[in-house]
This record gives sequence, structure tokens and C-alpha cells, in this order.
Amino acid sequence: MADPMKIRASAKDGITEVKVLMSHEMETGQRKDSSGNLVPAHFITELSAEHNGKQVLAAQFGTAVSKNPYLAFKFKGGAKGDKLAVSWVDNKGDKRTDEVAIN
Amino acid sequence: MSRFSKASLSGALVLAFATLAGGTALADGKYSGVGRPATRAEIHAWDIDVRPDFKGLRPGSGSVDQGQEVWEAKCASCHGSFGESNEVHTPLIGGTTKDDIKTGHVLSLVKGDAPQRSAIMKVATVSTLFDYINRAMPLTAPKSLSNDEVYGLVAYLLNLAEIVPADFVLNEKNIAEAQARMPNRNGMSTDHGMWPGAPASKGGIGNGGKPDVKNTACMSNCKTEVKVASLLPVYAETAHGNLAEQNRAVGPVRGKDTSGKAVTVAAAPAPLSENAAAAKLANDSGCMACHGVANKIVGPGYNEVVAKYKGQADAEAKLVAKVKAGGQGVWGAIPMPPQGHLKDGDIRSLVKWILSGAKAQ
Repeated sequence: MADPMKIRASAKDGITEVKVLMSHEMETGQRKDSSGNLVPAHFITELSAEHNGKQVLAAQFGTAVSKNPYLAFKFKGGAKGDKLAVSWVDNKGDKRTDEVAIN
Repeated sequence: MSRFSKASLSGALVLAFATLAGGTALADGKYSGVGRPATRAEIHAWDIDVRPDFKGLRPGSGSVDQGQEVWEAKCASCHGSFGESNEVHTPLIGGTTKDDIKTGHVLSLVKGDAPQRSAIMKVATVSTLFDYINRAMPLTAPKSLSNDEVYGLVAYLLNLAEIVPADFVLNEKNIAEAQARMPNRNGMSTDHGMWPGAPASKGGIGNGGKPDVKNTACMSNCKTEVKVASLLPVYAETAHGNLAEQNRAVGPVRGKDTSGKAVTVAAAPAPLSENAAAAKLANDSGCMACHGVANKIVGPGYNEVVAKYKGQADAEAKLVAKVKAGGQGVWGAIPMPPQGHLKDGDIRSLVKWILSGAKAQ
């Protein structure tokens, strides 16, 4: 199980701004370790953000995304106290979902 | 004065001033009638340093959640919501692991595999975090944070670095626990000449001030004068433009004037003209830390501002409001923090000065 994401969501004038900091290795599969063996790829493939259960963002991630990715986006709607959940799936089938209340 | 060994000194100072406060004038007749002893309150306001053993730390408390609120309001615009931003300053948080918290050594500093060194990777003492935030932050309004707000901010940063849990409430009693979990707490070395005072063998820290290099004095057959062996050729001096202009106009300017127009005039100080007064105000208010007169630093240069608002009748009123409330988006993603602490009249004269071309004289 991966470490939790850090999420901030704040609603202002009908627009909710979301900032997410994920904790993930994001190995590309191209790197070699000190003994010359390839480090197996390990990266997030899909990410989804849901506002009160309704999807507001779906993204496909790849190996070009950095380690511990930072993601910020805005969507219309959302009010203080609403639930915002962000979840990802990586290429090894690991999953992680974290939820915060919008403030 | 070493931050480790100041204990007895500041104590003695307070005592000395306290006894003087009872008398009428300084006992030393040399300066009789001049000045007055500092009051207890004045010393209290001045003596804000916090040392690694937490001497000087004022009691208070702040939770991670309280810290987060202050952070979003006053800090996140430059440092990012998670202290991760690399836009204005280098990142504060990142690059430390759970193992580092156990060992007290940041492994990626040794391996060199971190793309960048974050503040939390390097800082060894939590007192440094507290003291620095308390003393210098936010950059536009230092010392404006309350004691409890600083506790909250430190707790929030420690939580971001996963040193303390999310429900942690930092106070003067448990700050030592946080210190015991600082990732780089064992990473500081004092065995070199940068530390003054007694060497480690005599109960101090450091090596007694012995420098790392030896500048041996020449005693025989010495050169009588310094000869400059080589200089950058004149045609190459301007390869990077005028160096003096590229320095931020705060503090001493170190770049050489390579414009070819350097003049050395030692004129008697004339009373400040309107332009010069505004330029001084801009300097003193910290505007010049982010804005250049003819170049972009963090924010737009004043020449760019003039160009953008040229011919707009309401430009002055618009800009005054913007300076006061802060803004974001017109010049890119980096926001300008609100400058509500400046007087309205000052903001107006600053804006007038900028729109008139930001002339130094």
C-alpha cells in the first residue's frame, strides 16, 4: 500500500481548485541500478477525481510524469463540505484512494 | 556569538539593563544625559532568538490544521500548498524518507540522487525553522506572525515532511520530540573553524576556531605590491549585459557596472527629489525584491507595467487596488501577495512613480 496523497480543495465563486501531491516512485523501466540491472517500471497509469461520487477528471499517466507527481486542476461547481476523492491505479495493479472535504 | 553558547550572555544583559532602569542615568559619566536604558519590554521585543536547546522559545501552541490555514493564506503563494513549489524559491519539503527520520541522516544528501536539495533535507534543528519563520516570514511583512501562528506553521511543515502526525499540536514542551525526529538532525558537523568559542576538548563545540585553510604570512622575499594578473577583456565585460543592473536593488549591490557609463560622482547629499523619495520607498517596502525597474525578476519589471497600462486613464486607480489586494494571472502564475500593510498614500505615490517611468532621480 502506497503512502497517502496530500490533497487540498478549496471552493471560491463556484469554482473548486484542487491540488494533489501523490507519493509514488514513477519508475520508467529505463533506469539501471548500480549493478547494471534494469529497474522494473512502476508508474501510475490512471488517475480519477470524483466530486460527491461524480467524476470530474480522468487522466492517463505515463512514464514521462515525475516521481511524486503534483497535479492541480479546477472544476466548476463544488461547495464547502463536499467530498472530493482522488484515486489512482498503477501498472502493478496497486491502488490508492484519498478523500478530503472541500473548504 | 554562537547560538549554542549565548545563554549566559543574554541573561547577563537583561540583568544589567534591569538594574540600570532603576537609576537615573548611565553610571559611566562619559555619556551622561544621552539616551536611556532599554526597558524590559524593549529587550523582550528584541531578544527573539530560539536556540537548538529551545532556550528563548516562548510558550505557545499551534496545530497542524491551524498551521495549514495560515499557510494557505500567507505562505502557499510562494512556497506552494505542500511546500513543494520550485517557482519562487527552492522546495521546502521533499527528498526525506522514513529511514532518514530513524537514522537522523538524510541518505539522498550522501548519495546525491535527489534532483534538488530541499530545506527539510538540510535543516538539522527544528529551532532554526521556528526562528527563521518567526524572524523573517512572510518576506513582505516579517515579524507579522503571532507566536501561535509560528507554532502552527512549524507543525504544518513537520507534518508535510511526515515527521509528526496530522493531529499533532506543537507546543514548547513537545517540540523536543519533533527535534528527535528531524531527518537531518545528525547531519550537522561542528568540527571546523566556522564555530567560535572553545574547542570540543574543552567543553565547547567546534575546533576552537582553527580555520580549514592556512594563510601563512610571507616573512621573506615578499612581493611589495599586488599585481592583477588578468582581467576580463573590455569587449567581454558586457557579454552578460550590465552586471550592476542584474542585482536586486536591495542590500549592497555587488555587480560591476559594465555599461561603460559608470560615473563616480561624490556629490553632497541633496534633499530627495520626488522620484528619489519614491524609489527609496519602493526599496524600503520590499517592492524591488521582486520587481526590477527595467527587467523582470519574480514579478514584471516596471517598464513592462508602464507598457501594458499605457494610455489607460484608470490605470492608477486599478494598480493601487491591485497592489493593495494582491493579484495573480496578469503576469503569469506567480501571485503578488497583498500589500495591505502599506499606507494608502504610499501605495498611490509608488504607483504614480512607476507609471511615470520609475526614474531614480
